[in-house]
Amino acid sequence: MSEALIQAKELTKTFGRGKKAVTAVEDFNLLVKAREVVTLVGPSGCGKSTVLNMVAGFMSSTSGQILLKGEPVTSVEPQCGMIFQSYALFPWMTVQENVEFGPRVNRLPKAERLDRARRYIEMVGLNGFEDAYPNQLSGGMRQRVALCRALANEPEVLLCDEPFAALDAMTRQVMQEELLRIVDRSGQTVLFITHSIDEALILSDRIIVMSARPGRVKEMIENHLPRPRHVDMQLGEDFLRMKRGIWKMVEEEVVASMK
Amino acid sequence: MDEEPLGLWTIAVIGAIAVVGFIAAWETAVRIGIIDAFFLPAPSMIIKRAYAMAATGEKILLHDVWKSATRVLIGFMLSAAVGVPLGLLMGMSKYVRAALNPIVSIIRPLPALSWIPLSMLWLGIGEQQKFAIVFMGCFASVLVYTVAATLRVDVILQRAARNLGASRLQVIRHVTLPVALPNILSGLKVVLAIAWTCVISAEMVGANSGLGFRIWTGKEWSDTGQVLVGMISISLTVLILDILFRGVEWLLLPWQREGTGT
Repeated sequence: MSEALIQAKELTKTFGRGKKAVTAVEDFNLLVKAREVVTLVGPSGCGKSTVLNMVAGFMSSTSGQILLKGEPVTSVEPQCGMIFQSYALFPWMTVQENVEFGPRVNRLPKAERLDRARRYIEMVGLNGFEDAYPNQLSGGMRQRVALCRALANEPEVLLCDEPFAALDAMTRQVMQEELLRIVDRSGQTVLFITHSIDEALILSDRIIVMSARPGRVKEMIENHLPRPRHVDMQLGEDFLRMKRGIWKMVEEEVVASMK
Repeated sequence: MDEEPLGLWTIAVIGAIAVVGFIAAWETAVRIGIIDAFFLPAPSMIIKRAYAMAATGEKILLHDVWKSATRVLIGFMLSAAVGVPLGLLMGMSKYVRAALNPIVSIIRPLPALSWIPLSMLWLGIGEQQKFAIVFMGCFASVLVYTVAATLRVDVILQRAARNLGASRLQVIRHVTLPVALPNILSGLKVVLAIAWTCVISAEMVGANSGLGFRIWTGKEWSDTGQVLVGMISISLTVLILDILFRGVEWLLLPWQREGTGT
């Protein structure tokens, strides 16, 4: 068990009280090992984001707990770097200032801050955009900045809340490749939420299919597709077979969630 | 296809022609006797009166402008100095909000004018009374605008900052303040106009200097020229202050100077 980086134990989250109470997540168990990329897939409203928000410490659980390296998460956890679907960049800061934000509030010496910013800006290919403000950039570039900002804080795990959902299909594929390249190179642990089975198959080592509300683990699938992966493998036989299998599981839940 | 917006020069030229045309029509109407100069003097007469008030005759115009403007600014700054921090506190804490909302709701509907009797009883008709009127007239509005601006700060940005390791205090300093600032400033711009109303009213009721006082004495002596010079001086002073205020905004909000939208 020592290799578990994140562990969710019998996690339950209920919103509201009395008759209006809604259980979003119930008895949810999860184990993410270091250097692993795990995706959570499931229908809208199945509690994927709720799970992620609890891991990040934005929300407390109604019962059960989350352990990060064996320690319970009780408040906002900077070791879990979050990438939001809406980018959540600071519009009054330049790219450089956004990237330096984490190191700055954590009081890293200036030289190290600059060094980190340089390294990660280079890594995500933002060179030349250091002085731009977020509203001068396209959606894809903004998400690159968000990724860069999270990485510059060197978190234990990267939490991704459908980060590419707002991007157009082509930009999305480019960003998936980019994330894969960075993860392969740095060994970053990632917990990724998505609606897209394709995205899950391309990115992850393990796929967790969640049931319709209340969210539970319906199925866990080891993804043995060979690495390094590229977007064009979406046309391969293995890929399509796995996709079909996962879609069957997800479909039942989507239908259930619409009732 | 008339969708193109007008160029800056075109707008300026059209505006200038309209103003000149309006003034010329007014001047002519008075000269040929359609309008009685006693009730509405011609522009040329107003200019002559202004020149007398400023330089050759009473020499009080600039002093009045200065008096009114300092009253406005000091009262306004006092209300901002108290209202903005308190508004931020209310915006950030639901407890402070619950405690202060009833009090604000009672003070807010009171027009600044209604504070004049009390303030005169307490403070006489000196400068302090003018500051107090402006303060009471502006304070609740500053508070309301600041609370609204603070509440409008996107929770996601605060979460993102916390997630990157910022403490609660750092979130306030690095996120809540800069995000709320543009809306607070545009609220303050509205309040600045309120401050003028307060000062002019207070000067009309009890003062011995200032534009409000000058307009009022002009009326007492049936000097419509003096009334109009006072009114135009208010317009011009507010205009200049507004430009200065925009300069402050430009300095404080560098990230809003350019951009491709969205």
